[in-house]
Amino acid sequence: MAVATTCAAQTATPTGDAARGKDKTRLCEGCHGIDGWRVAYPEIYSVPKLGGQHAAYIEKALHEYKDGERSFPTMRAIAATLSDQDIADLAAYYSHGSTKTSAK
Amino acid sequence: MMNTTRISILLAAVSALACTPVLAADMAAAQAKVKEVCQACHGLDGNSQSPDYPRLGGQHADYLARALHEYKSGARKNAIMNGFAATLSDQDIDNLAAYFAAQPQVLHTNP
Repeated sequence: MAVATTCAAQTATPTGDAARGKDKTRLCEGCHGIDGWRVAYPEIYSVPKLGGQHAAYIEKALHEYKDGERSFPTMRAIAATLSDQDIADLAAYYSHGSTKTSAK
Repeated sequence: MMNTTRISILLAAVSALACTPVLAADMAAAQAKVKEVCQACHGLDGNSQSPDYPRLGGQHADYLARALHEYKSGARKNAIMNGFAATLSDQDIDNLAAYFAAQPQVLHTNP
Protein backbone atom coordinates (compact mmCIF):
# COMPACT_ATOMS: atom_id res chain seq x y z
CA MET A 1 0.00 0.00 0.00
CA ALA A 2 2.77 2.38 0.95
CA VAL A 3 4.66 1.48 -2.21
CA ALA A 4 1.62 2.11 -4.39
CA THR A 5 1.11 5.54 -2.83
CA THR A 6 4.73 6.49 -3.42
CA CYS A 7 4.60 5.44 -7.05
CA ALA A 8 1.41 7.40 -7.65
CA ALA A 9 2.97 10.50 -6.14
CA GLN A 10 6.08 10.18 -8.28
CA THR A 11 4.20 9.80 -11.52
CA ALA A 12 1.62 12.51 -10.90
CA THR A 13 1.98 15.20 -13.55
CA PRO A 14 0.87 18.71 -12.72
CA THR A 15 -1.83 20.16 -14.94
CA GLY A 16 -0.56 23.06 -16.99
CA ASP A 17 -2.23 26.44 -16.97
CA ALA A 18 -1.62 28.56 -20.09
CA ALA A 19 -2.33 31.88 -18.32
CA ARG A 20 0.18 31.05 -15.58
CA GLY A 21 2.61 29.90 -18.26
CA LYS A 22 2.41 33.26 -20.02
CA ASP A 23 3.66 34.88 -16.82
CA LYS A 24 6.67 32.56 -16.73
CA THR A 25 8.13 33.24 -20.17
CA ARG A 26 10.66 35.89 -19.12
CA LEU A 27 13.55 33.48 -19.57
CA CYS A 28 12.14 32.19 -22.86
CA GLU A 29 11.04 35.23 -24.80
CA GLY A 30 14.51 36.69 -25.37
CA CYS A 31 15.20 33.87 -27.84
CA HIS A 32 11.97 32.00 -28.58
CA GLY A 33 9.87 35.16 -28.73
CA ILE A 34 11.81 36.67 -31.61
CA ASP A 35 10.95 35.25 -35.02
CA GLY A 36 14.05 33.87 -36.71
CA TRP A 37 16.33 34.36 -33.70
CA ARG A 38 19.61 32.48 -33.91
CA VAL A 39 21.97 31.39 -31.19
CA ALA A 40 25.72 31.74 -31.73
CA TYR A 41 26.93 28.88 -29.54
CA PRO A 42 27.92 26.07 -29.94
CA GLU A 43 27.15 26.92 -33.57
CA ILE A 44 24.87 29.37 -35.33
CA TYR A 45 21.37 28.01 -35.84
CA SER A 46 17.77 29.06 -35.36
CA VAL A 47 16.01 28.48 -32.06
CA PRO A 48 12.92 26.34 -32.61
CA LYS A 49 9.43 27.73 -32.95
CA LEU A 50 7.40 26.65 -29.93
CA GLY A 51 3.95 28.11 -30.61
CA GLY A 52 1.54 25.35 -31.63
CA GLN A 53 3.86 22.51 -30.59
CA HIS A 54 2.33 19.61 -28.64
CA ALA A 55 2.41 20.28 -24.89
CA ALA A 56 3.61 16.75 -24.15
CA TYR A 57 6.67 17.28 -26.36
CA ILE A 58 7.54 20.64 -24.80
CA GLU A 59 7.25 19.11 -21.32
CA LYS A 60 9.43 16.19 -22.32
CA ALA A 61 12.07 18.49 -23.81
CA LEU A 62 12.19 20.71 -20.70
CA HIS A 63 12.48 17.70 -18.40
CA GLU A 64 15.28 16.31 -20.59
CA TYR A 65 17.16 19.61 -20.29
CA LYS A 66 16.53 19.72 -16.56
CA ASP A 67 17.74 16.13 -16.13
CA GLY A 68 20.82 16.76 -18.29
CA GLU A 69 19.74 14.39 -21.05
CA ARG A 70 19.82 17.18 -23.63
CA SER A 71 23.00 19.14 -23.90
CA PHE A 72 22.32 22.73 -24.99
CA PRO A 73 23.92 24.70 -22.12
CA THR A 74 21.53 27.66 -21.99
CA MET A 75 18.46 25.46 -21.94
CA ARG A 76 19.97 23.20 -19.29
CA ALA A 77 20.66 26.21 -17.06
CA ILE A 78 17.18 27.64 -17.53
CA ALA A 79 15.34 24.34 -17.17
CA ALA A 80 17.20 23.68 -13.93
CA THR A 81 15.36 26.65 -12.41
CA LEU A 82 11.91 25.35 -13.41
CA SER A 83 9.60 23.30 -11.21
CA ASP A 84 7.42 20.55 -12.67
CA GLN A 85 4.51 22.96 -12.37
CA ASP A 86 6.43 25.69 -14.25
CA ILE A 87 7.19 23.21 -17.01
CA ALA A 88 3.54 22.13 -17.29
CA ASP A 89 2.40 25.78 -17.36
CA LEU A 90 4.92 26.78 -20.05
CA ALA A 91 3.97 23.76 -22.16
CA ALA A 92 0.30 24.72 -21.87
CA TYR A 93 1.05 28.30 -22.89
CA TYR A 94 3.20 27.51 -25.92
CA SER A 95 1.02 24.65 -27.17
CA HIS A 96 -2.08 26.79 -27.11
CA GLY A 97 -0.23 29.60 -28.81
CA SER A 98 -1.59 33.09 -28.62
CA THR A 99 -1.27 35.45 -31.53
CA LYS A 100 -1.43 33.02 -34.41
CA THR A 101 -3.53 30.08 -33.26
CA SER A 102 -6.45 31.17 -35.42
CA ALA A 103 -4.24 31.30 -38.51
CA LYS A 104 -3.61 27.59 -38.70
CA MET B 1 24.86 22.86 -71.44
CA MET B 2 28.01 24.91 -71.23
CA ASN B 3 26.38 27.23 -68.73
CA THR B 4 25.27 24.29 -66.63
CA THR B 5 28.79 22.93 -66.64
CA ARG B 6 30.21 26.30 -65.64
CA ILE B 7 27.68 26.65 -62.84
CA SER B 8 28.47 23.13 -61.65
CA ILE B 9 32.19 23.90 -61.60
CA LEU B 10 31.53 27.15 -59.74
CA LEU B 11 29.31 25.39 -57.19
CA ALA B 12 31.92 22.70 -56.70
CA ALA B 13 34.56 25.37 -56.14
CA VAL B 14 32.39 27.22 -53.63
CA SER B 15 31.62 23.97 -51.82
CA ALA B 16 35.29 23.06 -51.69
CA LEU B 17 36.08 26.43 -50.11
CA ALA B 18 33.42 26.13 -47.43
CA CYS B 19 34.08 24.25 -44.20
CA THR B 20 31.20 21.89 -44.94
CA PRO B 21 29.78 21.15 -48.36
CA VAL B 22 26.70 23.13 -49.34
CA LEU B 23 24.08 20.65 -50.44
CA ALA B 24 20.99 21.67 -52.38
CA ALA B 25 17.78 20.16 -51.05
CA ASP B 26 15.95 17.62 -53.20
CA MET B 27 12.26 17.81 -52.25
CA ALA B 28 11.22 14.75 -54.25
CA ALA B 29 13.89 12.63 -52.61
CA ALA B 30 12.87 14.10 -49.27
CA GLN B 31 9.24 13.12 -49.68
CA ALA B 32 10.20 9.58 -50.68
CA LYS B 33 12.29 9.34 -47.51
CA VAL B 34 9.50 10.86 -45.40
CA LYS B 35 7.05 8.20 -46.62
CA GLU B 36 9.58 5.52 -45.76
CA VAL B 37 10.87 6.75 -42.42
CA CYS B 38 9.06 9.75 -40.89
CA GLN B 39 5.40 9.67 -41.89
CA ALA B 40 4.18 6.96 -39.51
CA CYS B 41 4.86 9.18 -36.50
CA HIS B 42 5.23 12.77 -37.74
CA GLY B 43 2.74 12.69 -40.63
CA LEU B 44 3.44 13.36 -44.30
CA ASP B 45 3.49 17.14 -43.74
CA GLY B 46 5.18 16.93 -40.33
CA ASN B 47 2.11 18.16 -38.49
CA SER B 48 1.64 15.11 -36.30
CA GLN B 49 -1.80 14.77 -34.75
CA SER B 50 -0.40 12.58 -31.98
CA PRO B 51 0.79 14.49 -28.91
CA ASP B 52 3.56 11.93 -28.52
CA TYR B 53 5.42 13.22 -31.58
CA PRO B 54 6.57 16.79 -32.13
CA ARG B 55 5.19 18.85 -34.97
CA LEU B 56 7.82 19.64 -37.58
CA GLY B 57 5.87 21.49 -40.29
CA GLY B 58 7.22 25.02 -40.72
CA GLN B 59 10.02 24.55 -38.15
CA HIS B 60 13.33 26.23 -39.01
CA ALA B 61 15.34 24.01 -41.38
CA ASP B 62 18.66 24.59 -39.62
CA TYR B 63 17.16 23.58 -36.27
CA LEU B 64 15.71 20.39 -37.78
CA ALA B 65 19.04 19.54 -39.43
CA ARG B 66 20.90 20.07 -36.18
CA ALA B 67 18.45 17.85 -34.30
CA LEU B 68 18.88 15.07 -36.87
CA HIS B 69 22.69 15.33 -36.75
CA GLU B 70 22.54 15.16 -32.95
CA TYR B 71 20.32 12.08 -33.08
CA LYS B 72 22.65 10.52 -35.65
CA SER B 73 25.76 11.15 -33.55
CA GLY B 74 24.04 10.08 -30.35
CA ALA B 75 24.56 13.51 -28.74
CA ARG B 76 20.79 13.65 -28.40
CA LYS B 77 19.25 10.47 -27.13
CA ASN B 78 15.93 9.00 -28.18
CA ALA B 79 15.35 5.31 -28.67
CA ILE B 80 13.28 5.85 -31.81
CA MET B 81 15.12 8.77 -33.43
CA ASN B 82 18.66 7.46 -32.85
CA GLY B 83 17.84 4.39 -34.93
CA PHE B 84 16.25 6.28 -37.80
CA ALA B 85 18.80 9.10 -37.92
CA ALA B 86 21.65 6.58 -38.07
CA THR B 87 20.36 5.53 -41.50
CA LEU B 88 20.36 9.08 -42.90
CA SER B 89 23.16 10.61 -44.98
CA ASP B 90 24.06 14.30 -44.69
CA GLN B 91 22.19 14.85 -47.96
CA ASP B 92 19.11 13.05 -46.55
CA ILE B 93 19.23 15.32 -43.49
CA ASP B 94 19.45 18.48 -45.58
CA ASN B 95 16.61 17.26 -47.79
CA LEU B 96 14.36 16.37 -44.85
CA ALA B 97 15.05 19.61 -42.98
CA ALA B 98 14.19 21.70 -46.05
CA TYR B 99 11.11 19.58 -46.75
CA PHE B 100 9.57 19.89 -43.28
CA ALA B 101 10.45 23.59 -43.07
CA ALA B 102 8.48 24.14 -46.28
CA GLN B 103 5.30 22.32 -45.13
CA PRO B 104 2.05 24.00 -44.02
CA GLN B 105 2.84 25.77 -40.83
CA VAL B 106 1.10 25.12 -37.54
CA LEU B 107 4.19 26.12 -35.57
CA HIS B 108 4.85 29.78 -34.98
CA THR B 109 6.88 32.11 -32.80
CA ASN B 110 5.01 33.09 -29.65
CA PRO B 111 5.86 36.30 -27.86
